[in-house]
Amino acid sequence: MSQLTQNSSRSSDYFDDDPEFLRAITEIPLPAPVFEDDLQPPPLTQRPRVDVQEPATLTQRHLKRSRSLDNFDVDEGAQYHGVLTSVDAKGDGESETYLDSHTYGASRFGEFGEYMARKRAKLQLQNAEMGVDGDESAAESKIFRGLQIYVRPFSGFPLFIRTHTAQINGWTEPSVQDLRQMIVQHGGIFHAYLDKKSLVTHIITCSLTPAKIREFKHMKVVRPDWLVDSIQAGALLPWQDYIFRPGERVEDAQGRRVAQKSLYDGFVPVPTRLPTQTGPSRVSSTSSTTTPPRTPKKQTVLSPLKSAPTTPMRPLYLTDPATLEEAARIPGYAAFESNPNAERAMQDPAWRAAHTSVAPDFIEGYYKNSRLHHLSTWKAELKDLVAEAQEKAENGGTEAWSRLSTDLGSPSASQRAVDLVVQENLSGRGLGSGGLEGDVSMRGARLMKLKQGKGKEKAADDERVIMHCDFDSFFVSAGLIDRPHLRGKPVVVCHSQGSTGGGSSTSEIASASYEARAFGIKGGMSLQQARKLCPTVVTIPYEFQRYKQFSLQFYTILMAHADDLQAVSVDEALIDVTSSVARIRAELVERADDAQEAVDPAKDFAEAIRAQVRKVTGCEVSIGIANNIMLARLASRRAKPAGSFHLRPEEVPELMATLDIDDLHGFGYSARQKALEKLGATNLGELAKKSKAALCEALGKGTGETLYKAIRGIDDRPLESDKPRKSVSCDINYGIRFENNEQAQTFVYQMAEEVSRRLSSIAMRGRSLTLKVLVRDPSAPVEAPKFLGHGLCEAHNKQTPLIAPGGRATSDEKVIGEHAWRLMKSFNFNPRDLRGIGIQIQKLEKASTVQETELGQAILPFKPLDASSRGMQETTSKGSTATEVGDTKKGDRERAPAIAVQPPSQDDDDDDEVQVVEQRPPTDRVRTEHDLPSFSQLDMSVFEALPDDVRKELEAEYQRRSTTPGSVAGPAPKAQSPSPAPEPEKKSNLVVKGTNVKRITRQLAPRSRPLISPTTKLFAKRVYTSSVKVTNNELRKYGIDPDVFAALPPEMQREQLAAHRAPGVTLYTTERKILKPTTRHGKRSSKSPAIVFRPPPAPKAVYIEPPTLKQQGKERGEKLYFSETDDVQRVIESWVAGFKEHPPNQRDVDYFAKFLVQCVDGGRSSDTGVERAVAVAKWWLVLLRRHFGAWENAATSDECEEQRRGHTAESVGRAWWKAFREVKARMDEAARRKFGGCLSLR
Amino acid sequence: MASNLPLTFNHLFIRRKKYDTPVFQSRHPALNEYIAGAVKAITDELALGTVDKVVVVIKSADEKPLERFIFALRNTLQVEPYNKDTSVEGAISAASLGQYFRSFLVKLNMIEAQLGQLYSDDLSFAIVLELQDDKAPTSTQGKDPPPWIPASTPHTTAGAAETAELHMVRAVDTGIINLSLAVQESEYKLNQEREIESKGKQKAV
Repeated sequence: MSQLTQNSSRSSDYFDDDPEFLRAITEIPLPAPVFEDDLQPPPLTQRPRVDVQEPATLTQRHLKRSRSLDNFDVDEGAQYHGVLTSVDAKGDGESETYLDSHTYGASRFGEFGEYMARKRAKLQLQNAEMGVDGDESAAESKIFRGLQIYVRPFSGFPLFIRTHTAQINGWTEPSVQDLRQMIVQHGGIFHAYLDKKSLVTHIITCSLTPAKIREFKHMKVVRPDWLVDSIQAGALLPWQDYIFRPGERVEDAQGRRVAQKSLYDGFVPVPTRLPTQTGPSRVSSTSSTTTPPRTPKKQTVLSPLKSAPTTPMRPLYLTDPATLEEAARIPGYAAFESNPNAERAMQDPAWRAAHTSVAPDFIEGYYKNSRLHHLSTWKAELKDLVAEAQEKAENGGTEAWSRLSTDLGSPSASQRAVDLVVQENLSGRGLGSGGLEGDVSMRGARLMKLKQGKGKEKAADDERVIMHCDFDSFFVSAGLIDRPHLRGKPVVVCHSQGSTGGGSSTSEIASASYEARAFGIKGGMSLQQARKLCPTVVTIPYEFQRYKQFSLQFYTILMAHADDLQAVSVDEALIDVTSSVARIRAELVERADDAQEAVDPAKDFAEAIRAQVRKVTGCEVSIGIANNIMLARLASRRAKPAGSFHLRPEEVPELMATLDIDDLHGFGYSARQKALEKLGATNLGELAKKSKAALCEALGKGTGETLYKAIRGIDDRPLESDKPRKSVSCDINYGIRFENNEQAQTFVYQMAEEVSRRLSSIAMRGRSLTLKVLVRDPSAPVEAPKFLGHGLCEAHNKQTPLIAPGGRATSDEKVIGEHAWRLMKSFNFNPRDLRGIGIQIQKLEKASTVQETELGQAILPFKPLDASSRGMQETTSKGSTATEVGDTKKGDRERAPAIAVQPPSQDDDDDDEVQVVEQRPPTDRVRTEHDLPSFSQLDMSVFEALPDDVRKELEAEYQRRSTTPGSVAGPAPKAQSPSPAPEPEKKSNLVVKGTNVKRITRQLAPRSRPLISPTTKLFAKRVYTSSVKVTNNELRKYGIDPDVFAALPPEMQREQLAAHRAPGVTLYTTERKILKPTTRHGKRSSKSPAIVFRPPPAPKAVYIEPPTLKQQGKERGEKLYFSETDDVQRVIESWVAGFKEHPPNQRDVDYFAKFLVQCVDGGRSSDTGVERAVAVAKWWLVLLRRHFGAWENAATSDECEEQRRGHTAESVGRAWWKAFREVKARMDEAARRKFGGCLSLR
Repeated sequence: MASNLPLTFNHLFIRRKKYDTPVFQSRHPALNEYIAGAVKAITDELALGTVDKVVVVIKSADEKPLERFIFALRNTLQVEPYNKDTSVEGAISAASLGQYFRSFLVKLNMIEAQLGQLYSDDLSFAIVLELQDDKAPTSTQGKDPPPWIPASTPHTTAGAAETAELHMVRAVDTGIINLSLAVQESEYKLNQEREIESKGKQKAV
């Protein structure tokens, strides 16, 4: 600011009274709106190097202009020019209008913003004038056109820029004024203030304080030489060569400011095309990120088996990074640091109200369009999907498809074997269909033999065949089914369609075809980035229905073949096909084709599966085969696109040596960074040499160990086919723009509604709530680069127990909303800075009215009885695992009980199976022993000897359990019911097959298991059953009409029963009569419940309603109730004051007496009433003493005398005292009943 | 040397702070034990929910009641014995209850100014438990005899004379248990007071 005041002749602190200046100003022809005509294409020699962030040449600008349809950057940049123009226009008028004009009008008090805006405008005027006044030659040079430069003086020396660096060119310390002149004369815009960072494109400085260094971290801070040199060269030089570096450290290792430069540093600049049109634009060139179309760069990340080159920073593809680190890794995905579209749109309140989180239907719309949401809900829906698929597989729905597989030519024996097994699988006969029965058992025997040939320990692992099946660019290939003409072209799936949005679209790419990937396009990029890499990329829309359909078909096929299945996502699954492969192998052995020894049955099988999926869906699937999950995933990457790959254990070390740490599933960027920092290598071959301890040291214990094993090809994770749902959440971090707390609150409540809906849809309730909040990073612009995205954020989390009344788990939207909002309030964020909100509910429990008191781990998630035979099979299989686990010889398999179904090769024979069935009841017994024994089995003597309260609770518990079986779907009744007779013809293998599918179906079902530890069960608070079982006879015995009883709510039923069954307990039903106050519509009447339950969950505080002093209000029908001491005292005071000359009316006396006596009466009100009555009486006493003090102790003389005298002061006084004593006596009488004696009014 | 002297008030009690109010706390082990025992016995009866009043009677040497400090209780809400730690909707919070207790103590300290002088020297006290009508103390510990014995009638509410004066110190309704503290000056004490006053007046005259 101050540097300007000294600005030679035209200082900025002029006033409007300088007529000469005014005249000069009005006459200025402003050159401000820069027109494209007067721009000449710069000489080729000066074309700067290719750089993303700094597009210096006009040619580049042309490219940008031609592509982007939206010129918001123009608006931004031209703002100042606009100001100038307006001034210019007004300047033509008279001087008084001139004074009224935008810039030179008087600032009103408190309008500092206006003042500053004007000041800026004035300075720009000055600059413009300078440009005119300057020498002609310089004026023609427009090398700085489009730049908006802020010159930051060294703080100690506002006037001079101190250059510390050696100046080769001989220029010495250009002053700020000189710089200003230079900038303005060469077409740039000089900013005196840095109050709008987004406007300024470059900062010129020689020295910065550390705080400023931090502040300008993301801006282009340049030394003044840049300007000087550029002017000398006659063209804009690349600013990167003049980056200001604080102190110019000697060692680069200490953190040279490489910033954006590094990302594309290694690339050879490609000669740009000459502009087809020469019209330059007014666009501020800095905002353009255009680069000439490059030869598509193959990112190393793309090739799955790359040898690890250690690039210092890997580009990350996200459209909305939340951390600085992420942001730094993303090559310009958006054109602006702050999204100008959004900024502009947000100006419009109507738009804001309709499109941001403030909109009433925002959440709904958000979830309608959120791809991630679709994917995540699908995961939940997969349960149904898989169930459907299973049904199809069982009903032979795949039989039609099985014909397809016969089309495959079967040239070799192995192929024929594969076909056979595939046929078997598809036709739903699997291993044990009736027709093949004998065959099957034989086969089982053969397999056993085979297995015995190998070491038992090894067998388990080596024979496991895990396949990782993954669609190749699922969304794209599904979309291409309808669009065959697009095959072979670079295609991406994203929201943004056609040319709208175009080059600057931040729409995220969900999936890219392999042709597109060849250009370097990846999922997660913005469309803009993709367009940059490949301008001809074609976009196709999402087709969620089709994806779902394909997914179903995909799963149906997998289901038919799999022993076990882990659904990873809609287009990706892990299957265990051990048994099928073993059967193929056996088939081969049977055929004894020695020549075919070398074939790989697993790979053939995978190809068969691939062929099936291809036939059915038309999409390609890639399958990776290995003996564990991790290797299968690696293999599938090699298999892609459209292939299969069997990774054999012996190949693992060789493969690993070529991999990088983040090629492993579950290891990402951060693990890579840690490995690089602490171990000095990211290549798995290198890391293989490290000891386990070293890995654990560097990466943490768990990760280190996993890595150590992974490198050696070991992964003992079982397929997670039955993962219980742990949490339900709702996160929204798009479009969150609030203006005040009310909006935020409404939104939080809306989100709570959504969460509640989701909880109810899976019939769950939660006990814990986590609120996740994204808040705009203070350094981030208000509008994020992604349109309405969250931008750079700070993440905050808070957790609170979610407690519904009575300490129950809840899914109630109000309770959730309240909790969430309370947490939100406790953060105390500015609502404007909120960018993302997430509500997550954990500690889920089943929502049925009965709180399932499942105990321990032995409980099976029983299905409802509808399919009793299935349930039977299920328990059988569970039983079999149980026995196997119990078997010490097989103890080593204990760790994998999650795969319930053992492949037939390891299965026991029929006898075992029968035995298992018989063992089931003991299993149940074990379970119930943890629980309470049945009531009939109780040792009554022990029961009687229990302490009173414990016994009562046990009684209540038994009461609860004796509910009608139909109302409760709990496990208890079923466990006690006799097991259905096992089907006699059932074979073990059939069981295995059936169970297999069953288990798979169940895998995605959210299984609720209360998270309370079983030990606390007995005395934990309970929610009681909804219905109470009692015989009609018993009810009649108590004198209760059974029909009436049945109609009562369960709580009442329990209360009534408890009342009659346990007479020792003091009951409300009896006591209520005393407590129940006369119903009244007083202030607190809402607090006194009409019926006092004895509710187990939430007892309500009972307040005795205080007596009130009723009065007629001013209006008719209006009644006033006084119960507070002050109010009553005031009434008394006005009463006494009104009757100073007359004896009190007896009706009034009674009126007050009634109130006071009621207050004192222990049966009518509580002791606070006594307090109140005493206070009122004391006040009355005070008033009487004040007015009639003389007669206080006068003996009450006979009344006749009183009447004779008429209304003298004495008689009035006496009457008052008499009334007082009368009332006092009545109060005493009431009080005596409770406390004895009388009330003291001292 | 100190042990030879009779115990004084300051030996037995120290000043402490409770609910932000200065109170006297016993520090004599025997007295502590007695107080603990008494409180325990009261607690046991309170748990049964049948207690109506707990009265500390200050009595003269000849067993005449002088002042009765009455803690009157009333349960407005019955909670199952095994469910004692449940939360109650709408009840006074523990924090604000602390404030109420503070006012109990403050007003108890102040009530002395309203009460008449105790002229007897050889004072004693008794703790009287008054139950709801037709309830008997039932809490017993094992085979020990119950800690309570029938009270002498003059010490009880029923035995209080009509002219005894009651000062309500403080009352609070918690929504679960209503509690109040009152001090009652007995007829005997009031008469004694009047006699002494009139004597003093006569002397003065």
